[in-house]
Amino acid sequence: MKLLCCPVNGLRPVSEFAYGGEVRAMPDPATCSDDQWADHVFNRSGIPGVKIEWWYHLPSGVWFHAERDVVADRVLRTWMPGEEAAP
Amino acid sequence: MAALRTSPIFTALEAHSPEWGEHAGMRVALRLRDENAAKADTLALTDVSSLVRTGLKGPGAVQWLEGQGVPVPQGFNRWLPLPEGGLVARLARTEFLIEDGWAGGPVVRLAAALRTTVPGVYPVPRQDCAIDICGANAPDLFAETCTVPFALDPLEARIVTLTTMVGVGVTVLRHDVQGRPCWRVWCDGTSGPYLWETLTSIAAEHGGGPMGVRVLHGDISQPVAGTQGGRP
Repeated sequence: MKLLCCPVNGLRPVSEFAYGGEVRAMPDPATCSDDQWADHVFNRSGIPGVKIEWWYHLPSGVWFHAERDVVADRVLRTWMPGEEAAP
Repeated sequence: MAALRTSPIFTALEAHSPEWGEHAGMRVALRLRDENAAKADTLALTDVSSLVRTGLKGPGAVQWLEGQGVPVPQGFNRWLPLPEGGLVARLARTEFLIEDGWAGGPVVRLAAALRTTVPGVYPVPRQDCAIDICGANAPDLFAETCTVPFALDPLEARIVTLTTMVGVGVTVLRHDVQGRPCWRVWCDGTSGPYLWETLTSIAAEHGGGPMGVRVLHGDISQPVAGTQGGRP
């Protein structure tokens, strides 16, 4: 069973979580070009490696960040947005 | 007067031809026609959805609750009994579930106060299905239906667990009743019938089954006339 550590609820089976996509900076919709906005809305990075992602713990409604090696599918650490990452 | 609310698992309970009572505007099954009260020490499931409850969340929730005289559990996923009766559970960081006891509590007062807009405080109406699961074999039922071993948590730690049980998102805490180990399980009302049917069918394999509230909680209501063994 795959496990994921929610920063609030602790170690849980991955079936309790939903993937929320890679953490990405949003361009300023007031100043960016149509091409930049379309790129943000429709395109995702498929480059393998270590990525920072949004994950959601379904029973408690907690959104958090996870650093995950998407090649090995191994979560390196998880933390609450705006807080220091756990070592 | 007809009951104003209906338990999410009313239909499932009706199949047991219960003796109905009424609590907080909801029909409650006081005693099931086919229940074996002697099994309450082994494993019993009881519908307690009639207990009134409310919720709130937001960055100002802690301060607002303290201003209302409600004790706030320190630390995430913890609960406290309320002096007026009932309990307050802290769900994750800034969300709270408050539930009255059988004799009352602060929920009506708090729900009325929450109708006034308060910055950083957002009401969370709760119409949950609530089930008390008690008995020595309850941990076996949980081991079969849930991956989180919350049954090992000590009672005095007052831990709240938010997890999934047979695929349903649930909130669980332990609150022993009359010396029996007892866990209260809340889920969204729409998932209540599935959760109830699944848990009661598995409970039968562990020597238990559904029971009316009288077995666990005593005489919380007088029987409604004419319902001893039939439709209310």
